Amino acid sequence: MTEQLNQDKPIFGFSDTETIKLDFDETSFKNVKYWAQRVMKWFKLGGYVILKSSKNSYHVVFNKSVSWAENLKVVAWVALQSQNRGLIKWLVMQCIKKSSTLRISQKSQKHSPRIVYRDGKQDDQIESFLEFRKMLKNYIRKMETKKPESSSDM
Amino acid sequence: MTKKIAIYGSYLARVPVRQRYWKKRKDGIKQRYWKVTKRLKKVVMSGRYEFYGKGKDLYKAIMKALKVVPKGFVDVSAEMFLIDPMRFGFEGMWIDRTVESG
Repeated sequence: MTEQLNQDKPIFGFSDTETIKLDFDETSFKNVKYWAQRVMKWFKLGGYVILKSSKNSYHVVFNKSVSWAENLKVVAWVALQSQNRGLIKWLVMQCIKKSSTLRISQKSQKHSPRIVYRDGKQDDQIESFLEFRKMLKNYIRKMETKKPESSSDM
Repeated sequence: MTKKIAIYGSYLARVPVRQRYWKKRKDGIKQRYWKVTKRLKKVVMSGRYEFYGKGKDLYKAIMKALKVVPKGFVDVSAEMFLIDPMRFGFEGMWIDRTVESG
């Protein structure tokens, strides 16, 4: 665990219950793409977008709007089938919070997630996710320009 | 269901030190009590805000949330948070430390 007391910025993320999101850690892009494609076809989710969050870590966002129960069903299915430990841990965390969250801002040494692949329809949840992401990134950019005047030590 | 902005991480907070003391009851049993002193100590805690609402309110709430750290898990509209931020958090400083992903 590394602490940098001079960096006073929290992590920003996008949270909701109706967008199906997956968080793959320590998984190759090929594997992530395989699971995204399989889930999209099996549950008829329309389309997906893959974002790279760090080396061998990817986020997947699907296009179809679903209920929270349906959302958990899909994520649990992938977690069980893929046996991905990171995804299982992430799923448990989302169940506790009762909504799923994906990171948008940067986090310590990791850059903010960037889009690396798209497939299928992008007009429903993906569109609103990307709009929200753009808005939040703008806020973060504004915040960073304002930052020098507000830096203080406790 | 609304889309929300999640703001999470670890923070350094100054919390009052609790001091324990014992008092002898009438029945002879020593009972332990706690009192909150005026002394403050620095502790590392983690928490989370989940904001929803209009764009302008969200931006103002984010700016406020940089200085007001959450009391645990706070799920509130940005508008409500801006009315009385101290109801949902307290003064502290966010630190860069590994936390469980959102």
